[in-house]
Amino acid sequence: MANFRSIIATISLTIFSINFSNAIYEDQVGKFDWKRSFIGKVKHARFHHKRLIVTTQENVIASLSLKSDQILWRQQLESPPDHQPQLLHADRDIISVSGSKNSFYVRAWDTPTGSLLWEWSTVTERNVDSFWAVNGEILIHIVPIPGSHMEVAHYDVKTGESGKSRKIDATWVGGWNKCATANPYFVCISNGQLFWVDIVSDESKVSSHSIQALTGEADPGNLQLMEFEGPKPGVLLLRGANARLVEIEGGSVRALSYSLLPNAICVENSIFQLEANLDNPEKLIRVKSKNLLTGHDEMSVEIDYPLGLGGPYIVSGECRGAICDLLLSSTDNALTLVRLPEGKVIWTREEALSDIVAVEFFELPVSELDVSIENEFTTSSNDVINMLSHRLSTQTKQLYSLVLGGQLMANNGLVRDDFGLHKIIVVATSVGKLFGIDTLTGSIVWSYRLPNVKPFNDVTMMLLVQRTARYSPLPAQCLLLAQDANSGAGVIFKFDPISGDSPRGIERLSYKIKQAMLLPSEDENHLKPVLVVASDNSLHVYPDDGRKIAEKHAEMTFVYTIDSTLLRGYKLTPNLSIGQVWEVNLGPSKLVAISTRPVSERVHSQGRVLPDRSVYYKYVNPNLIALATLIDDPVHKHVLSILLVDGVTGLVLYSTSHKRANGPVHLVHSENWLVYTFFNERFRRNEIVAAELYEGGTQSNSTAFSSFGLSQLPHVQTQSYILPANPVSMAVTLTERGITNKFLLVGMTSGGVVEIPWILLQPRFADIPCGPEESCIPYMPEIPLPAEATINYNQSLGRIRGIEVAPARLESTSHVLVYGLDLFYTRVAPSKTFDVLKEDFDHRLIVLVLSGLIIACYVTKYMASRKLLRQSWK
Amino acid sequence: MSTKHQNKRLKWSLDTVRNRNPAEGLPGPPAYNVSGPASSFEVSRSTDVGHLITKKSWDLALAPLKQVPMNLFIMYMAGNSVSIFPIMMVGMLLMRPIQAIWSTKSTFKMLENTSAFGQMFVYVLGNFINIGLALYKCKSMGLLPTHPSDWLAFVEPPVRLEFLGGGVTLL
Repeated sequence: MANFRSIIATISLTIFSINFSNAIYEDQVGKFDWKRSFIGKVKHARFHHKRLIVTTQENVIASLSLKSDQILWRQQLESPPDHQPQLLHADRDIISVSGSKNSFYVRAWDTPTGSLLWEWSTVTERNVDSFWAVNGEILIHIVPIPGSHMEVAHYDVKTGESGKSRKIDATWVGGWNKCATANPYFVCISNGQLFWVDIVSDESKVSSHSIQALTGEADPGNLQLMEFEGPKPGVLLLRGANARLVEIEGGSVRALSYSLLPNAICVENSIFQLEANLDNPEKLIRVKSKNLLTGHDEMSVEIDYPLGLGGPYIVSGECRGAICDLLLSSTDNALTLVRLPEGKVIWTREEALSDIVAVEFFELPVSELDVSIENEFTTSSNDVINMLSHRLSTQTKQLYSLVLGGQLMANNGLVRDDFGLHKIIVVATSVGKLFGIDTLTGSIVWSYRLPNVKPFNDVTMMLLVQRTARYSPLPAQCLLLAQDANSGAGVIFKFDPISGDSPRGIERLSYKIKQAMLLPSEDENHLKPVLVVASDNSLHVYPDDGRKIAEKHAEMTFVYTIDSTLLRGYKLTPNLSIGQVWEVNLGPSKLVAISTRPVSERVHSQGRVLPDRSVYYKYVNPNLIALATLIDDPVHKHVLSILLVDGVTGLVLYSTSHKRANGPVHLVHSENWLVYTFFNERFRRNEIVAAELYEGGTQSNSTAFSSFGLSQLPHVQTQSYILPANPVSMAVTLTERGITNKFLLVGMTSGGVVEIPWILLQPRFADIPCGPEESCIPYMPEIPLPAEATINYNQSLGRIRGIEVAPARLESTSHVLVYGLDLFYTRVAPSKTFDVLKEDFDHRLIVLVLSGLIIACYVTKYMASRKLLRQSWK
Repeated sequence: MSTKHQNKRLKWSLDTVRNRNPAEGLPGPPAYNVSGPASSFEVSRSTDVGHLITKKSWDLALAPLKQVPMNLFIMYMAGNSVSIFPIMMVGMLLMRPIQAIWSTKSTFKMLENTSAFGQMFVYVLGNFINIGLALYKCKSMGLLPTHPSDWLAFVEPPVRLEFLGGGVTLL
């Protein structure tokens, strides 16, 4: 019997999995999805065999083409920011050293393919920033202990075999920018003296020289040292924006007579540096090159540096004869390759997109033509002649666009399509640069750089949609809230998300932002006011005219804030101030995850139909906050608690705990359910738990929902499963009306994003039979993750950080943007595209058949009448 | 061949030239009763035409009721599964009485100048019984939207009375 049941289960599973998997066909690859790869902010760069090898702060080593901005290969090393690249050395192969403060990985890479040639690792006891250098076959590790001594260890670069290691007493050793390597020397500055020691040879002779005597300047001031690669060992001595090159030769040292800029680099015998170009407003940056020996200017080239990029500095360069390539990086992490002597920019990569902190999808405005058609019904007066002229002009426009093929489309084809599949994704990045990205092509439509802006807590910015593009001719309006990089005060940036225009630019506030929310109602300009809570709990409304609306809705508006341990609920008073209403203390446990329902989510079905055809009503509370906390426990190691708190009343509606559970915890709350994943330490596996809230057989109030109107706690159904994957991010699909089934999108460490149908996770009722008749899949402990369920098929995504979902105007479809090191956009249809014809639908055949039938009808009609006539004549 | 033919002829023949006594007279043709027609005419004359019409109209009025056992049988045979044939049968069961009710007047028109209200009432009642049977069948097949779950798709989502905003402090 059991066997039979298992067979049935397998069959039903296969049937369901066939139904649910929405894998695409091979020829659909790239049709509605796109992927953009990034590497992050460049740290080291080397030109090697006509390509560029870079390491970045994302702890990635990659090879870039010199001809286009293409990534030839990319290897992700250990996860940043703990692990960082320490050294990049290009000899025959490429050698990289990367690691945290005390454990390092030394790897060699094959330049053409990017395959790993060999690798070894080492662990040191010291937990300080250290220096690395390669001399021939020896890898040198220098650990400075500031004020005491330095430890120099030699390794064989290939095998990792330890060579000599010694301690050099040096009270002069300093930290990161007080010391630098100048192969084969290690140079430091201390108390106005320059010290250097040979780190390759055995002798530990420390030489020193007075800086004052070296530079001839009386006041040494605040000096810094920078590495400088030249034909001779040397370092750059920095004072403010002025740098002097100091060359070291054995026991003697000399400073070159001319002064440089801090971003100077040396390629062969020329020094290149960037200068601001004040003469030409079109080309703001100029490259100057000097002869290394004489210091005479060799050339000065104005480069057509793209507008909108941040201030550049040179990372690396290479010269082949007269042609020189310079790699520039900028303050907004963009990477630019410039070719001299023309000063032409060969390519630019917007590496800011590798660190996205906020995403929002925007509907496009309707085309001019549609606007004029709409206006005909709204604005035209009763005057007949007026109407006629309006109609005529509209129709001419229509004809014109028909003939000329849609030239009337407003701003470069960014107009709304029928199904809302064409949207603009606005992303805010951690460097404070905003991008508008087209969903169809993945190209950057606009970008806007905000100087001196950083994310809140270094993790998030807020994008608030005040007005969508629906109300033409009023443009869409969006607000970005962030923090000033220096003062930490709030920053508001108002912009049009479609064009990227900002009439007023960036506004720096005088207060710090604690929280902000969008008010639910619009003013006469269809603008939703934004309520900003300052750090001193004072309220600010943006724009100022929104105050009236805020006051009108104050009675029904509530705000909550979450500190590390305290949840606080506030109520708005009619004179626009907030007063605390409730408080939940999480105690010593640590908050690890939080989730609320997406604001735009609509729940279509208010209940679940039971087999006896009665309804079990869902408890859909839009004010719920789901929280996950972790606490150390002497017996169970860690205990994970899940709480569902009503944000209006502060009532804890549901709580549960898991013993011996650990992070990472991911929470998703949608409709009336909650899904969370955690690591089960007892069985050493990831588990996923679904909890569903029900009101019961009757609905207490079917017309209005109030958190205060709770008569009894909702019933909770739960079920847990094994998740055979390591989740890093989780999201749920959203559709326009909420009729379509829900899919859970889970980003995994493997770089895949899988869709899991909610029906697989939905808790089964214990007392109700489960089978195909009830469209219920029998409980399986392990969630199947078939390869077809991976929405990014074979395109692995690097370091997924988040998944953003937005509904299309087509009920079946939702937009998905997966961001991290890569950007991946696709569309998912959880119930398949039931509302559009299939792509391969044969329109021609059906037209042919229909017209054939109509023609046949008329032909037979004619023939029949002729026959009748002939018969009657007989 | 000819002898065979003759043999067949010899087997059975009507003798029309048989001698008969003329005084007897000719017997009546078969099934002719000399005294019959007059008396039967008298009987039919005596019964009322109206009575016949009433009888006929009652037949008409009771026809739907007579169908009930047959319908019950059909319903039993059709089963409760929702598929094309049972649906067609239930459709017929439902449609026929409705059509009959609509055409009650024309049905009773042939009974000229007699107003048979009683019969009409019984006729309509019988049809209603048939409709009831069909509806019962629909219900047992689950075709009637009598459960709250049938109206679930039309339930509007409740209006929010409170709005909540906030999150982790951004300080």
